Amino acid sequence: MTDTVPARAADDEQPAAPRPPGPRLPLLPTPWEVAGRLWRRLRRMSTALVLLFALAVATLIATFIPQEPVIASTVRLWRTGEEGPGAAVSGVLDALSLYDVFGSWWFGVLTVLLFVSLTGCLVPRWAAFARNVRKPPVRGRNLDRLTHRAELAVPDGLTATEVLGRAERDFRTYRTRVVTTEDTAPQLAIERGHWREFGSLVFHSSFYVLLIGVTLGAAFTFTGQIDFEEGARFADTPVGYDTFTAGTLWDTDRHNGHITTLDDFEVTYLPDGFTPDDFVSTVTFTSADGERTATEEIRVNHPVHFEGLTYYQRAFGFAPTVALRSGLNGAELFEDQLILRQDGGFWTGRGKVSVGNPAADPPLPQIAIEVLFLPDAEFADDGTVQFNSPEANDPRLLLTLYLDDDLGLDRTVPISRLDWPESAVVDRAMIVPGTPVALAGGLFEVEFADLSMWSGLQISHQPYRWLILTGASMVLMGLIPSLYAYRRRLWVEVRDDRIVVAGVALHRRDRFAETFDDIVDGLAGTLGTARIAAPSPSKPQTDPQGSPS
Amino acid sequence: MTDLALAETSNSLFNVAFFVYLIAMIAYFFRLAFTRVSADGVQTSTAAGRRVGHFGLAVLVGGFAVHLTSFVMRGVAAGRVPWGNMYEYGSGIALLAIATALVVVQRRYGHLVGFVIAGSLLMMTTSLLLFTDAGPLVPALESYWLQIHVSAMMFSSSVFIVGFVATALYLVKDRAETKLARTGSFTGSTVGAARSATVTPTGEGDVEGRVADADVGVEDVQIASATAQRDVLNPVLFPVVPFVGVLLFVLVVWRAPVPAMLAASVAALIGSSVWYAVPYLPPAAKLDNLAYRTTAFAFPLITFGIMCGAIWAEEAWGRYWGWDPKETGSFVTWVLYASYLHARSTYGWRGRRAAWVGVTAFTALLITYYAVNLFVVGLHSYAGV
Repeated sequence: MTDTVPARAADDEQPAAPRPPGPRLPLLPTPWEVAGRLWRRLRRMSTALVLLFALAVATLIATFIPQEPVIASTVRLWRTGEEGPGAAVSGVLDALSLYDVFGSWWFGVLTVLLFVSLTGCLVPRWAAFARNVRKPPVRGRNLDRLTHRAELAVPDGLTATEVLGRAERDFRTYRTRVVTTEDTAPQLAIERGHWREFGSLVFHSSFYVLLIGVTLGAAFTFTGQIDFEEGARFADTPVGYDTFTAGTLWDTDRHNGHITTLDDFEVTYLPDGFTPDDFVSTVTFTSADGERTATEEIRVNHPVHFEGLTYYQRAFGFAPTVALRSGLNGAELFEDQLILRQDGGFWTGRGKVSVGNPAADPPLPQIAIEVLFLPDAEFADDGTVQFNSPEANDPRLLLTLYLDDDLGLDRTVPISRLDWPESAVVDRAMIVPGTPVALAGGLFEVEFADLSMWSGLQISHQPYRWLILTGASMVLMGLIPSLYAYRRRLWVEVRDDRIVVAGVALHRRDRFAETFDDIVDGLAGTLGTARIAAPSPSKPQTDPQGSPS
Repeated sequence: MTDLALAETSNSLFNVAFFVYLIAMIAYFFRLAFTRVSADGVQTSTAAGRRVGHFGLAVLVGGFAVHLTSFVMRGVAAGRVPWGNMYEYGSGIALLAIATALVVVQRRYGHLVGFVIAGSLLMMTTSLLLFTDAGPLVPALESYWLQIHVSAMMFSSSVFIVGFVATALYLVKDRAETKLARTGSFTGSTVGAARSATVTPTGEGDVEGRVADADVGVEDVQIASATAQRDVLNPVLFPVVPFVGVLLFVLVVWRAPVPAMLAASVAALIGSSVWYAVPYLPPAAKLDNLAYRTTAFAFPLITFGIMCGAIWAEEAWGRYWGWDPKETGSFVTWVLYASYLHARSTYGWRGRRAAWVGVTAFTALLITYYAVNLFVVGLHSYAGV
């Protein structure tokens, strides 16, 4: 580039002169130049600000558009157009991956840019800090020109060295250095407030710790859910969970096969009736080799740890045992505890009774039941339901029996998602515990055998949380000094007839202005002397060094 | 007293506090009109202004005591800390904003307290719209982390209100100052913070008016006449912008036309008072400084609050961060306030641009509080009303 500059200048002076021979002006900057320019641009504070705004905008979008990893059901409704702005807009949102902002490629790019910008800012700052923090306080020149300046009388009977020695004790919490040279008055240089820069650096560096913690945590995490009824047990194996999500580096061998038994589940309600006050699962953990057991209570806000996994109380409900028998020969067709989920005051659930065989002759139909559980309710004459209590004081089951050639029972769809036609209904009955009821004209017999509760637990393994906690503490511990500490320099100079105290603050000048007088008064007290009226400064100056580092 | 009687007394005291604050606010505004603030921040009042000022302070302290009693009684009636729903939370924010005004603003910027009271009154109005009877909480909210998390959020929000008041007034005052300076007819020293920062580029922005004034010389300090300061500002914008803003916000959030009109009218009134009050406000650089100081105080608090929220989420839901709408919203707010603090110390951004970032951050805070709680379905929804 250097030799093209005079060529261009020559062009300007003599437009008619032919272009001197030499290298042509490069039309495109080299990749190195582009990279250099980009790097310089990324290092700029205003770029960092723009990136922060972009982060804020992206996050704001994610606040108002449902996010698939958080609330997939709503996203499904938005996609079909049943909710939200409609299916057409939804397509655009999908194309921009706005249903998963935090997993999208452009959010990844934004994160990378932010961290590049952060690195570009932090590396020179750490280096400068390491240099500055080792420098002893510098001698001040032109103290008379500083705004914050006071003069004290020289105490009787003290030499300059003694004055500075006492002053040094007064500034014990500061860095101090006595400066004596041949041709200048002895001076005590005082400095404080490197904490500000250090705090700021710690605050900004903490984001690397957080990033590493989050990344490692996400890679090695495991979260599973299980719904199981009282008396039931499940083993910590890959197939033991109802559903689970795992990080890419989660090792399935880490499932150590310990067994969790739900001994008991208790729920109490608030006096208003229907809001749960407390719900608690009593579980017994048994390690795979049977050597270690522990009985624990899991409740909301009180998770329990066992062998590297954390158990959280998540959900609960009723689990009635329903038995369906053939009315012809008494053969048992179905007996199971149904996990009932709450649905507008009712507890509903479905049971897959038998998978029929369409190849048989005559074709055997599929049988399914749907139950609706009423813990304690009354039917009014006008058909409405009056709920008395969420507790099972008067347990009743409304059972519907379905019989059809194809109820979809052989499909790999969760039974709760299946849609059964009204035409498949064979019979309905209301049953109470312990009393078998005949259905479909005696073809079937159904019994509400028992009632217990089920508990839904979330089991997770979240490693590297200590890294995130460390990062979070660094954020806070760095933030406070970076906002409140401030760097300032003070000088105490002993002249022939007076002591000059002067100071300058590099940050928070208003705060320093408030404290300067107290500092001077404190020093006067230590030295046993008093102020003398100082001449007003000829011209205020920010720093006697000329350029502050 | 039974819990019910306590709760009812608490509600009545809340209403009493509301009206006492209203009187205090009027007194503060009245005092403002009898006060002149010179460029170096010294304020002089007429005798009547001083008397009204003392009266306003006494009424405000009384109102605060009544409000505090209401807040405490609510807690006793519910048998828990009184920040479990939006009504209580809003009441707490208003209470703490008044406390912040009394502790931080009253001493040096006394004439700004009226505007903070206005903010508190708006907060209390929205609180009343979201009123819920005193009662216990669902189990997920029963945790001592709730007390730490929510109180940190509440406290920081209230300080952010004070910061927002200072930022908004700074923008207005700075506009008047720069416009006056541009007309050339006025040679005084009311230089906006944007310009005073240019005078001392090494500064971090905590520059007082005095530093900027140094070049002019103290004897040159003069104040443009009140009419001149008002004349450079467009008097139509001041009532219209808050009116439209508040009207749309309330209509969108609550879909209630009558309260929306009422709230918008109050906002328009406050907007007009700001226009009227411009000459009596402290210099722009001082307002900017107050805005920065309050925000810098509240920022570590909100950081701490969000962290406690994450710890609580870990205990209650088994994950510390799940991009739940409320978490996302508070993250936006945090990022924007961090941007404000950065912009405040970035050359080319400090002054008006930084202040606009501050206004955006406060808007994000309001959206996170109201819109996310009331509109968006998430885990925090049940904490809402």
